[in-house]
Amino acid sequence: MTTTTADLLQMCSIRTGDGTFGIDTRQVREVLGPTVSQRVPLAPDYVEGIIPYRGEVLTTISFRALLGLPPHDAPCSMLVLDDAIEGERFGLAVDAIGGVVNVPRNSIEPNPGTLDARGLALFDGVYNTTVGLVAHLDARRLQPSQLANILTTANHGVTQ
Amino acid sequence: MRQQACSSTVIRAAGAIQAIAGATQDISNSRTAPNWRRGFTTYKYTPPPFPATDLLGQTVLTDPDSSIIVGSIDMPHNPHLHPVTHAPPVKPDKGKVDDLAREFLAESQEGLDRVELCLTELEHRPYDTELIAEIFRAVHTIKGTTGFLGLLRLQKLAHVGEALLVELREGRIIVTPPLINGLLAMQDGLRGILNLIAETGTEGERSDDDDRELIALLVSLKTQAAVSPPPASAHDLEAQSPARTSLSSSSASTPSLRIDVDVLNRMMNLVGELVLTRNQLLESKPGQPQFPDLKRRLSNVTTELRESVRQARLQPLWQLFGKFPRIVRDLAHTCGREVRIEFEGQDTRLDKSLLDAIRDPLTHAVRNAVDHGIEPPAERLKAGKPAEGVVRLRASQQGAFVVIEVTDDGAGISTERVLRNATERGLINASQAASMGQREALQMIFVAGFSTAREVTAISGRGVGMDVVRTNVETIGGTVEVESQLGAGTTIRLRIPLTLAIVPALIVGSAGHCFALPRSALTELVYVTHRDMPLSIQSIGSAEVYRLRDTLLPLVRLDQLLGLPASLPNDSATYIAVLEDGTRRFGLVLDTIRTAEEIVVKPLSSILREIGVFSGATMLGNGELALILDASAIAIRAGVRPEPQSTVTGKVELDSAALNTPTQTINAPDAPVVLYESAAAGSHLAQIALPLSAVERIVRIRLSDVEYADGHPVVQYEGTLLALEDHDLLLEAANATTTALVTVLICVRHDPANQPSRVGIVVRRVLGVSDATLLARNPDLGPAQVAMVNQRVATLDPRFCNPVGVPSHSVLQEVA
Repeated sequence: MTTTTADLLQMCSIRTGDGTFGIDTRQVREVLGPTVSQRVPLAPDYVEGIIPYRGEVLTTISFRALLGLPPHDAPCSMLVLDDAIEGERFGLAVDAIGGVVNVPRNSIEPNPGTLDARGLALFDGVYNTTVGLVAHLDARRLQPSQLANILTTANHGVTQ
Repeated sequence: MRQQACSSTVIRAAGAIQAIAGATQDISNSRTAPNWRRGFTTYKYTPPPFPATDLLGQTVLTDPDSSIIVGSIDMPHNPHLHPVTHAPPVKPDKGKVDDLAREFLAESQEGLDRVELCLTELEHRPYDTELIAEIFRAVHTIKGTTGFLGLLRLQKLAHVGEALLVELREGRIIVTPPLINGLLAMQDGLRGILNLIAETGTEGERSDDDDRELIALLVSLKTQAAVSPPPASAHDLEAQSPARTSLSSSSASTPSLRIDVDVLNRMMNLVGELVLTRNQLLESKPGQPQFPDLKRRLSNVTTELRESVRQARLQPLWQLFGKFPRIVRDLAHTCGREVRIEFEGQDTRLDKSLLDAIRDPLTHAVRNAVDHGIEPPAERLKAGKPAEGVVRLRASQQGAFVVIEVTDDGAGISTERVLRNATERGLINASQAASMGQREALQMIFVAGFSTAREVTAISGRGVGMDVVRTNVETIGGTVEVESQLGAGTTIRLRIPLTLAIVPALIVGSAGHCFALPRSALTELVYVTHRDMPLSIQSIGSAEVYRLRDTLLPLVRLDQLLGLPASLPNDSATYIAVLEDGTRRFGLVLDTIRTAEEIVVKPLSSILREIGVFSGATMLGNGELALILDASAIAIRAGVRPEPQSTVTGKVELDSAALNTPTQTINAPDAPVVLYESAAAGSHLAQIALPLSAVERIVRIRLSDVEYADGHPVVQYEGTLLALEDHDLLLEAANATTTALVTVLICVRHDPANQPSRVGIVVRRVLGVSDATLLARNPDLGPAQVAMVNQRVATLDPRFCNPVGVPSHSVLQEVA
């Protein structure tokens, strides 16, 4: 079986906590090195803060907080994500950024049923790659304005 | 004005700056063959056989540098920027208008604006040959260009108009109202066709796109003399007015902007310098000797560039005011008024986007002035005023604001009628109306759903209006207010910020964070030393107040409000920023003041905007980000109430029936009271309530400062003697230690003649400020007036109740 480039998904791999995650490289606008966000008082806990980016002020999301992990002191690596269609631009703070992983698009497997509600809400599915299992993230779901909805529904699901 | 029009440049506002950078090489050949009718079928550069005359009938080509056109970069296929090989497949797209046509449209619209202005002027000065010549030139230019572009319908109309104007210029016919009406109708006709071209790309060949009637009218005017125009004129105006408003609003935000070539050249030079400096900076390293110099140069260039862009965006107000003579004229005709419009300060400049934003509100204010303000001539003569009313538009710059006043010398606004109307429409209730002052009542006209028009006319009276004016002005950070004197006239005053993006701000620190506080909200900055702290900042319950001169200022601690851990102990020296947002006034307690800086406002993402306290963010000089604090949002979040005198007040209503029934809650809104503890006359400790508004200050005074005059305790307070009332005999009890402090409430009391006097009430302990609900008197409890405060009973201080124990109306009115 031959796979053409159109069938291949290029993912930027991300490490946070013990997990590996991947995000479509077309949704990654830029990878910034270790970046310290400036905290915003009263913001939801998954908001890491704000950073200056090309003359704009970007809101950054803490991926650790999204996964329910405690914050840690080391500066986070920052991905600037931007859904080309209509989404807002924002930063995603992760523990470390790995290389680019190519996977066939159709090899995606559904999230394991035992995954908690938060994970179910955040991940699209899982790819089995050479670097291990990679949970696929969609920038559109991680948009700050979307997160509030997603997390409420997820938490709601838990209480049920 | 004319000179300026000549030496300026048309830039499409979208992406103007990028266009400058991108278009430098194209300037020389940008004025190309006007083959716009054929779309982009040919992309070859042809030498410019451009119309030999520009708008003013002067030759363009003799002075090629004086007027250049910079193409806009948002045009998908600009033939001047793409070589022939790039020619895209061309469809004769009807909805598409190429940039040459756009330029023609923009110039023609401007020409027509001038025609309109001159025509209304001509009505007052019928023999001014200069005016006639100017109208002629403008129409002639349009005719010339249309002929060249092959716009036949436009050409035909312009031609008839021109012929008529020739007669006028040669003095064969004279200016009469029908002639002016006819010419204005022609001007409207031309404008209509131009708009049609802008929308559809064609002149329109539909059956109703027929100018025969109009042309016939113009021809008849030419052979004139006694030919009276069809009685259409008045009816015409009515019929046309909706159409015209739609026209004016469609051209409301013109996509192009005239700027001075000098300013543009300066910007270009600065951009060049910027590029050079960047190159040098990239080559150099921080340690090198020329580095500080480069940094300085970069900073200078940036400042200058910013300033020149700002300059370029500033547009004189006459661009806006120019519309009004016609509007006023037409409106005056329809309403049967005689109105003259006068301008002042129309050279005042305002940012282009703001100019567009105030176009509608200002038009509305002017319409209102004519329709509601100016009385019919007969009525004016009866009132001893000249038959002709005056609407005056006055603009001036005051600091960071441009103030525009629309004044009429009409009937003024009757506050009585305003209040009656507002009550009828259910906007306020009768008791609210009764308690309103004149100024307050006038502001009711800005409330949605309000209209004083006796009947709904085509122009006004639908109750949508002044509230829209206010909303529009407030969205751009401005304010609007009204002043009126019955019989003498009304003034609507708009205060518009000069620019939006850059605001002066104070950079402040709290709990290690850095915030920007826009200076517009800041009225005063107070530094409280550690020593003054206990005397000047006091707690009433959980609320802290600062006594600022004669008032108690509620305090908001920024760190607490934002849920940040306080970095300094509560009693250390602090700054208090006194903020005002129109209705509320409070002090914001800060740790440090860093600098004053002009900040560039950057928007926040929606999730951070939702927090409500921050209106944006900005980058500081040191690269740090600072959140911009929103004073009114902070006030709301912290629960600061609007000041009593500036709000619609609710009052405690005591009806006699309720007074006769035993203890029963009276249906009254809550009134804030200061609670203190007292054990007067050896009785039990009780809560006593005082109307908050009666309390001027709460002070702690040393016992040694208390002096006795004829056996009565007094203190010296602000240069006068203040009598102390000490019902609990606290002064004697504390007498042993003269260093002790006693708490004194300084209150203002009104005697029966309503003369205010001050008195100091010595109290044991201040408990707090709370809302009290008055209870009806219970005969078993004696004469005391009782209220419920926080589910506990409090007695109203008898000194602030009238003799029968019913709280004097004036006191509670102040409170409410």
